[in-house]
Parts: sequence; C-alpha cells; structure tokens
Amino acid sequence: MRNLRAFALGTIAVGVLAYAGAAALAVGAQAAGRSLVVGFGPLVVVSVDREAATAVTTFGPGLVALAILGGCVNVAAARLLQRRAGGRGDGVE
Amino acid sequence: MIADSDRVDLAWGVSLTDAQLADVVRGCSWPLNNSGVFILERVGRRLDVVVRELAEVFDVPLDVARFDVLQFIWTLNALALVNVVQSGSHLRRAADWLSLALRLAPAGALPTPITRRLPLDTGSALGGIASSLRASVSRVIGIAAASAIVLLPLAVIVGGSGRFGSLAVALGVATGIGVGLHEAGHVASLRGVPSALVLRGRRTFVLHAPVGPVRRSLVAVAGPAVVTATGLALVVLGAAGSEPSVVVIGLPFAAHALSLTVIGGDGRAACGI
Repeated sequence: MRNLRAFALGTIAVGVLAYAGAAALAVGAQAAGRSLVVGFGPLVVVSVDREAATAVTTFGPGLVALAILGGCVNVAAARLLQRRAGGRGDGVE
Repeated sequence: MIADSDRVDLAWGVSLTDAQLADVVRGCSWPLNNSGVFILERVGRRLDVVVRELAEVFDVPLDVARFDVLQFIWTLNALALVNVVQSGSHLRRAADWLSLALRLAPAGALPTPITRRLPLDTGSALGGIASSLRASVSRVIGIAAASAIVLLPLAVIVGGSGRFGSLAVALGVATGIGVGLHEAGHVASLRGVPSALVLRGRRTFVLHAPVGPVRRSLVAVAGPAVVTATGLALVVLGAAGSEPSVVVIGLPFAAHALSLTVIGGDGRAACGI
C-alpha cells in the first residue's frame, strides 16, 4: 500500500512538473517564433513545429515516461527512508 | 532571540490548570514543578520582572533565576506552547540578532528562531481557509517580497525591460500566495480537528490533533494538491491562450507538486513515513 501511494504521488508530482515545464518551454518558443523539440532518445516530451503562420505544439509520450520514472524514483526513495527509519511508520499495511 | 524586556503569552489552545500545562491541539498535558507554575502564572509580564520575582521568592541568585526562566521559556516556545511578545525597536532587535549571529558564526550556527503559534478555526472548511490565510498573511507578504527582491535583479540582467520586472514581481507574489494556499489546503481538510498554524524561522506548518492514518494522508496531500491544481490551471490557461506570462506565473504554484514526493514532509506523511 505504501509503495503504491509513493508511486502514485511521485508519478503525479513529476508528471505535473514535467507538463508545466514543457508548456512553459513550448509557449516561450511559440512567442519567439521558433521550433522546438525536447525529448530523450525516441521519446519526445514536447515539440513545437512551425507551419507557415501557425505553430503546432505536441506533448509526446516522453511526458508519461518521465512521470512513471518519477513514480519509481519516489518509491525507491520512500523505501530507503523507511529502512533508515527502522520499520513501519503508521502500521497501515 | 528572547530579551529581558520581552513578555510571553500562552499560545492559543494552551492553558494552565492545577499545575498542569494542557494543550488542546496535541491533546496532552504536562505536570509542572513549583517554579514552572510560578513563571507561567506571570505570563504577560516582562521577563526581567519575572526573573527578579523568582529570585526573590525561591531565594536563588539573580543570574541562576534568569538562566532558568529563559531556558524554560525557550523550551516551551520551541514546543509552540508559548508565544514570545517582543518589545523594543525592530532596528535594535536586528542589531542584536546580527551581533549574536556574528558570535555564532565560527560554530557555523545561526540564532535559533522564535516560534509563533496562531489560532485556526477548523469548525468549517471555509472558516479554516479564512483563518489560515489570516494567520499566514505576514508570512505570505514576507515570502512574496523576498522572492521579488531576489528575482528583480535577475529580470534586469536578463531583460532590462519593464515587462520582465513586472513578471519578476508577479512570480514573487505567486510564490508567497502559493505558501498561503498550501497551508489553507491542509486546514480545509482538518474540519473539526483542533489545529494551529506555527511559524518558526523559515518554516510554516499546521500543528493538529492526532488523526487516523488515512485522514493523515489526506490532510498531507490536501495542501500541495490545492496549490498544484491552481498552478496546473494557470499553465493550461496560459498555454491555451499562448500567454507565456500566465504559464510562468503558474510555475511556482505547480512546483508545490514536489511536496507530494518524499522530498517534502507532506509526501512522507502521505506515504506513512
């Protein structure tokens, strides 16, 4: 249960942060009239393509991958903290 | 720093009855010895007066009485059981703080901050939000001002124009408001639970009576969730309207999402750590 909660909260937190950061970059690029591609490997986080007078912004699967990675890191950190604390904190599980 | 000219008051929800110090928020009480009762029966008086009376009544040297009184008040203040009512000019206090900070500098320490505990009305969600915003207004203004002061020179370096300056001020204000909303979110979820807002140095937190593990998780999540949702709404609105400034203003709010992870105390509480 604790791992599930840590995963869910970490996924939401990193997902929100990644989306907010990506949106800021995309809107900035649009305002500056530039194209933009942010991603890692084949996974695109956000891209801004200019087509004639318009700009197309796409949020890619990289955002989901980042969010899931955030959830996994949060679970690992939670387990580490729990181990250091020496046992279960609230006896929920 | 606590000075001889300061006074102390029992914090909201704390009472002295039959030589017991009771805290309705923690749901605990502690027995006091005679000198403890003597000191706390004199709340509202200047500490130097209390020290003199204690020395006289208990027949102890003045410096011993002063040490005992200050140590006792320090301990109670650190536990948010008494508030210190400071007197004298702000300039004088700042000079005293600086002097003490310089003396402590070789040890790599700073003067311990004073704790302030403020009442919260948790009778209803709206009342809780209103009382939380009222209690944290000085902190919100302080954080907003400090953030704006830090960001303004950066804005001048980056842009040098009025637009970046106003954006820096807006970011500072958003940072301050985010902290106020964060605590209000916690308080709104504490309906019917005795609670108080505690300000200690740069920390702001809600002290509340013990609740079950599920509710504890909900309370922990509610604070960052409210601010994160606000930030997300601003980012989405800004992105939809191609308004970079609205997106940027949403960022300090969205950053509260980090509190949901185990980096933050709220995230650890929500995970039962």
